Amino acid sequence: MRGLQLDQLTRQVAGRTLLEGLDLKVAQGECVALLGPSGCGKTTTLRLVAGLDPLSEGRVLLDGHDISHLDPGQRRVGMVFQSYALYPHLSVADNLTLGLRVRGIPTSEREERLAQILALLQLEELRLRRPSQLSGGQRQRVALGRALLRQPRIMLLDEPMSNLDAQLREELRPELRRLLTSAGHPVLYVTHDQQEAVGMADRIAVLDQGRLQQVGNPRELHHHPVNRFVASFIGRPAINLFPPLAGRQLGVRPEHLQLVPSDGIPARLLRAEWSGPQQVLWLESAAGLLRMLWSPTSLPPEQLLVGWADDAALAFDERSGERLPCCEPGWNRDLIRSLQQ
Amino acid sequence: MMRILLLCWSLAPLLWQLRTSFLVGDVLVGEQSQPGLSPWTLANYRLVLHGDPSLIQVLLNSTVLGLITTLLTLILALPCAYGLHALRGHLQRSIHAGLVGAALFPTVLLFLSLLQVARSLGLANHLLALSLPYAALSLPFAILLLQAAINDLPPELEDAARLDGLHTLQRLRLIVAPLLTPALASTGLLVFLASWNEYPIALTWLSRSDRLTLPAAMGRIASSSVYTIPYGPYAAATVLGSLPLLLLVLLFQRWIISGLTQGAVKG
Repeated sequence: MRGLQLDQLTRQVAGRTLLEGLDLKVAQGECVALLGPSGCGKTTTLRLVAGLDPLSEGRVLLDGHDISHLDPGQRRVGMVFQSYALYPHLSVADNLTLGLRVRGIPTSEREERLAQILALLQLEELRLRRPSQLSGGQRQRVALGRALLRQPRIMLLDEPMSNLDAQLREELRPELRRLLTSAGHPVLYVTHDQQEAVGMADRIAVLDQGRLQQVGNPRELHHHPVNRFVASFIGRPAINLFPPLAGRQLGVRPEHLQLVPSDGIPARLLRAEWSGPQQVLWLESAAGLLRMLWSPTSLPPEQLLVGWADDAALAFDERSGERLPCCEPGWNRDLIRSLQQ
Repeated sequence: MMRILLLCWSLAPLLWQLRTSFLVGDVLVGEQSQPGLSPWTLANYRLVLHGDPSLIQVLLNSTVLGLITTLLTLILALPCAYGLHALRGHLQRSIHAGLVGAALFPTVLLFLSLLQVARSLGLANHLLALSLPYAALSLPFAILLLQAAINDLPPELEDAARLDGLHTLQRLRLIVAPLLTPALASTGLLVFLASWNEYPIALTWLSRSDRLTLPAAMGRIASSSVYTIPYGPYAAATVLGSLPLLLLVLLFQRWIISGLTQGAVKG
């Protein structure tokens, strides 16, 4: 198979498992985002693919060839670090070409490739600057240029936007995506920001505590989460999880909560958060704080009854958090009744 | 105000030496200067510069020895520190503890056995041979200082260099060493100082007067006469002996200060 294939990737350090049996395929030209909270194993995964840390078990395959035993320098991996890791004592041009220089690429070819990259990333005027004289966005472009100049066969990015301000982040996203996928390499993109993951990636792999939870496109993850973690991690504002009842826990997304004339959960409006196309209502109820979407132009009454359509709720096993195959209408009624008392 | 007081506290002995070096001997031991004659003189300087050995020769010896020692120490300490930085776990901790122990060992206890070594290897009266024990004695401290500085470098830099295909020695030469310049400068200065000040080993290894280092030569000046203490010449030698150091510190000031405060704050 063409592309990158991670086969049972495992990393243990001093008895602690940082990553356990990760299976993932990234096709040519596909961008897969690794998404999860801090310490979930996203960066560990990148470092294993790059060869910076040794594998405890598993293999990294590129176009069907096992590259697990290769040194990082031989893997032809382009990586952008969260801190960018530019060499502070070297100019932009030297930062970019150091790798080519030590590989013995002749000067003429080096200059040619450098000129191409500088033009592509609009860095020509900065070629003699030191990293400390660059802005955050410029540093990011240099780091990206250094990764691309290696003519990589895999691109790895570790939160490349986290040092940029929010506006710049949004502006750069389409450009970065075009640069990354145009070369037709598999791209792994680590982030903890689901907005960014949705914007950058074709598919999202959600990790938690060193385990892969689910892989899919944003729509699948949102509508068909395999477990409670994915359901609550994906989607903003976050899903409403109700108190467990009879070994089950129901979750209803804020956009599915609605006012009902009867048979609803009594709630009180605490605050309305305006966010442009809609408002997020914060409701206080017997089930704790609830989030509900509302039109931006009006406000509901202070005291209200909320409910949801029978097929809107997601049901999870209370213990394991696994998604139950269906949510029977009776469960909704039982839950609402228990919360009315 | 407090600063000025502290400055006086530190500078007073030096200024006193400076004054002493320009006074005639009689005045120094409390006698009235002869009427009509100035108590100020350059005779002390003339004496030490034209003595046997001339202080110029002595300073030259000390400088050459100090530079060679510093160079040798840094060339050996940098790879050691880099290797130690790469080690993990028990091995690193025990080597580290060993180095701390060696750095704290009082070197004066070693000079007799070092003299034996010098005799059996025929190293006595070779000025540059002194750089061997000097470098050996400075190494533990230098390795610890440099290792601390390497620990402060962002680890991603090394990762990035590995991805760029740099092997270990290239990373040390092209990435780590240039970034350690401040630490190398301050460590180097401390090593140079230690070599400049070292007395017991120099005293026992060197006897030919044209090979003497500054402390050994000072010892000779101090004990040159049984009947008087040569305050004046001694002070003149002190002043001349501290000039090269002053020059070094001024030259490397910027790096030394940033090196000494390295790791104090996250940058």
